[in-house]
Amino acid sequence: MTKPFLSIRAVRKTFGAFVAVHDVTIDVPKGEFLTFLGPSGSGKSTTLYAIAGFQDPSSGDVLLEDKSLLSVPSHKRNIGMVFQRYTLFPHLSVAENVAFPLRVRHRPDAEVKRKVADMLSLVRLENFADRFPGALSGGQQQRVALARALAYDPPILLMDEPLSALDKKLRQEIQAEIRRIHRETGVTILYVTHDQEEALHLSDRIALFKEGRIEQIGTGEDLYVRPASEFVAGFIGNSNFLPAEHLETAAGAATVRLADGSIVTGLTAAEPFSKGQKVRLMVRPEALSLTPGPASAALAVDIVDTAFFGDRRRVVARTPGGDEIDVRPTSDTIDPAGATAGSGQRIFFDPAAAFLFPA
Amino acid sequence: MHGNSLRRGSIAGLPAGSGGALPALVLVGLFFVVPVVALLLRSVTDPEPGLQNYAALFGSGTYVRVFLNTFLVAAVVTAVTIVVAFPVAWMLAIMPPAFGSIVFGIIILSMWTNLLTRTYAWMVLLQRTGVINRTLMGMGITQEPLPLINNLTGVTIGMVYIMLPFMILPLVGTLRAIDPMTLRAAALCGATPFQAFRRILLPLSLPGIAAGGLMVFVMSLGYFVTPALLGGTSNMMLAEMIAQTVQSLLNWGLGSAAAFVLLVVTMALYVLQLRLVGGKRPAGGL
Repeated sequence: MTKPFLSIRAVRKTFGAFVAVHDVTIDVPKGEFLTFLGPSGSGKSTTLYAIAGFQDPSSGDVLLEDKSLLSVPSHKRNIGMVFQRYTLFPHLSVAENVAFPLRVRHRPDAEVKRKVADMLSLVRLENFADRFPGALSGGQQQRVALARALAYDPPILLMDEPLSALDKKLRQEIQAEIRRIHRETGVTILYVTHDQEEALHLSDRIALFKEGRIEQIGTGEDLYVRPASEFVAGFIGNSNFLPAEHLETAAGAATVRLADGSIVTGLTAAEPFSKGQKVRLMVRPEALSLTPGPASAALAVDIVDTAFFGDRRRVVARTPGGDEIDVRPTSDTIDPAGATAGSGQRIFFDPAAAFLFPA
Repeated sequence: MHGNSLRRGSIAGLPAGSGGALPALVLVGLFFVVPVVALLLRSVTDPEPGLQNYAALFGSGTYVRVFLNTFLVAAVVTAVTIVVAFPVAWMLAIMPPAFGSIVFGIIILSMWTNLLTRTYAWMVLLQRTGVINRTLMGMGITQEPLPLINNLTGVTIGMVYIMLPFMILPLVGTLRAIDPMTLRAAALCGATPFQAFRRILLPLSLPGIAAGGLMVFVMSLGYFVTPALLGGTSNMMLAEMIAQTVQSLLNWGLGSAAAFVLLVVTMALYVLQLRLVGGKRPAGGL
């Protein structure tokens, strides 16, 4: 196995008695787009700051190409960073902002000029070189910040919720820009966000943080299709959870009894359960349909509401136990006859697409 | 809209509520503008009409030296005040507000203490047999007393101490408006702490430095008590000269001329500062 490019080893950060980051370990290969996803206060930014050198970890190490970064002050780490708030230098023009990292490195004027032109064309702001940051929109400012962070060809680019101050349309636009720039430059990116859609859209891999620990790390698809815990399932995408009782697990397939007494078999258990243990059955809204498939389990429900969106249908159902279920049949499972609200109906799902988590 | 129309409904195009400023304006008119005009008249009429007072002022080496010395002291005091005030202002700008208000309290308290008392305190500290000299000699650092009083050193120490709040207060305002993240960004861009200071923090704090610097410089130009008590006869300042001319020599014409020159210089500096700082602020920004 090749050596990791960036290695975060058992990084721990405590503030007094509070442990913000619990021994986080991640290896990042060169050129990867890795996102730290998690709710606020989950330790994702603190981990990023340890790499940037703003907060030294209480223990653990951060290695870049096998050399520890911890004893290196921020200004010698040669790391690029884009911040949540626009941190452009308000007294310098766009071109001088981008030139700043090169000027403090005493690069020759000709090189600075060429590099600034390259960077501004990378972020498509060639015509804004002489503007001042105050005269730019939020999205433009973040693009200048991106150009500034990449001007000195840093091996790693850190991005700390760079889009959170922008409106939705602008966010999507800049996301596309970030993807393109990652593709064109091949820079290794560590990206912090609390927005799961952003994480799914941008990342090669996602590390999902919860209370200072990594709950699960993998591709977006891994986390979505094979969530390791109820937290992951709930954080990434939409999920329905139903209370159930575990009966037995044989050959990797678990059987449970739902609240209404019906038995569902062939489920995937997140961990070994004992007989009679209370569990929660998770199934994605788009795994549910109104028509039975080849290997379907059925749920008896009342349909509360239905809505048609052209490419999909949304149905709100309620179990006899009172649990609300969100059903979003995809185009190939969409019920041609439609669905009408009413009691005594059934919805179906493939047990292989459902998971059991401890209650 | 509603608030706007309310504010517009006023006399002679002035914002509503301007009437409240009337007493102050009358006061300034009566007790500042009128005396200044009287001063100007006196400087060209006393003892006889003509510009002979100004000729005497600029023709005499002694008076010119007093002028130059006044500017020198004011410049040195301003420079030293900026250097001493900057770290304090920065600390106040970034420290938690609870601690900040304590430090602010100390600074304000020192402003409320009687000026004469504070200057006499410095005399006690700085004189040949004062606390500082005795401590230094007692520790064997110096062999004989340092000349800390009745010279430029004494005036600078005493004045910087008095001027500090006037520099710190405007500077804190400017520094507080600077996002500390900007400096982190500079560091990650590869700027050494000195480069970050020199290229980012200093330019961004220039409006505060200019405002505080001008205030200190102008106040220093006309300062009387501290230079009179801590300075020496060889580096007399303008205010002291005016006092002597009027009180001892009873030469009102010459004293008025000197005072008027001081006023003109001060106003010119103010206009200059408005031009330099007021006009050149970067568009938008933080």
